[in-house]
Amino acid sequence: MSERYSRQLVLQGFGVRSQNKLSKASILVIGAGGLGCPALQYFTGVGIGRIGIVDGDHVSLSNLHRQVLFNTADIGKLKTEVAFQKLTAANPETIIETFPFAIKADNCLDLLENYDVILDCSDNFGTRYLLNDACALLNKPLIFAAVSAWEGQIAVFDNNENGLRTNYRDLFPNQPGSHEIPNCEENGVIGVLPGVIGTMQAAEAIKLITGIRKPLINQLLNYNLLDQSIYIIDILPAPAGSYELPADRIEFSTRRYQEISAGTDSDIIEINVEEMHDLINKGSTIVIDVREIHERPSLSTKHIQVPMSAFDSSLPDEINEPNIVLVCQHGIRSLAAAEKLRSKYHGQKNIYSLAGGIARWYGQL
Amino acid sequence: MEIDIVTFGKITEIIPNGMMSFSGLTDTDQLKATLEQRYPELAGMKYKLALNKTLVQENKPVIEGAVIAIMPPFSGG
Repeated sequence: MSERYSRQLVLQGFGVRSQNKLSKASILVIGAGGLGCPALQYFTGVGIGRIGIVDGDHVSLSNLHRQVLFNTADIGKLKTEVAFQKLTAANPETIIETFPFAIKADNCLDLLENYDVILDCSDNFGTRYLLNDACALLNKPLIFAAVSAWEGQIAVFDNNENGLRTNYRDLFPNQPGSHEIPNCEENGVIGVLPGVIGTMQAAEAIKLITGIRKPLINQLLNYNLLDQSIYIIDILPAPAGSYELPADRIEFSTRRYQEISAGTDSDIIEINVEEMHDLINKGSTIVIDVREIHERPSLSTKHIQVPMSAFDSSLPDEINEPNIVLVCQHGIRSLAAAEKLRSKYHGQKNIYSLAGGIARWYGQL
Repeated sequence: MEIDIVTFGKITEIIPNGMMSFSGLTDTDQLKATLEQRYPELAGMKYKLALNKTLVQENKPVIEGAVIAIMPPFSGG
């Protein structure tokens, strides 16, 4: 066996058997961001046979403090493309497959089916609930992690048919509404935090695949970077009726997993960049950037800026255009702004939010 | 009765960590109601309790010295 893995091969309890399991394994990483970058690097290092990367975003300057696979010269490039080059250069023995688009209900099951282990390295609740339900449906092991400010959470939902079976909905049965989520800019994160948590995800995947010791199955690990504390709790299944997982593929495909849930009576339409340009070309459309003044990149599409921090006071008294398109960095604040406008205009305007925000459509705005 | 409260994420900004005094409560449902009364912001948030490091999925008795963790969901990555 190759010298490349010699240091781990001599580890007590590891050996050729574990290395073979890793080289036969396949892992799908959803999100090549703060969590995904370190996980991908260690998966490549340890010699995972095949790794899939799902991410539709382009590298931006504000990513670099935590997304350690990328450097300044990569700004504007597709994350999956840069990751492919760097990871293949690091270890040509690992097959890297890239999927440069957002994961959705209509492509999710086909993607997940081709991999042994799924890593949730996403940055929004819609994707987290989508992956949770898909993994439960397909009996795929899911390694979940998320961060906020100085803290992280990680859990392993094994989803095998034997023994106690839990999933993310046993922790939080329903997707939080937009008013319950801190916005993308406001919350902030120190780069090293997703580095620690993403590395923990990689460690759990390696334990799960090799069968060495016990991964965090049916447990939630809470990590606090400020005092380096770890607090692990046992997850029990929620009482029957607390939530409903999709029973089959058809039910799964008809469920709506929004990036955030914008309420039940929503008449806000989430659009992609082409639909946005179509609206602009047709005329009678105003684009409102709700990001703060200091946020970059700036939009080259004609727009007005109404920062979310002073939205009500800075909004023009009269908007003449019947179509309003709201944009922000990741499409989360723009949905909250759209809700505000919906209650202001009571159906007199067509209100749109750019799904995925400027991060997703970098270079096309 | 003294209960050890351990908070996470945004909930730390609302509820202080450490021993907290309660009177007349015997279970987690009553504890939840008391906490939401003392800290009204909590009522509008999604969170889950753990009692002595096990997730609370149904009403459980609470005794002196119990450790209650209060955890919100995180979405960042």
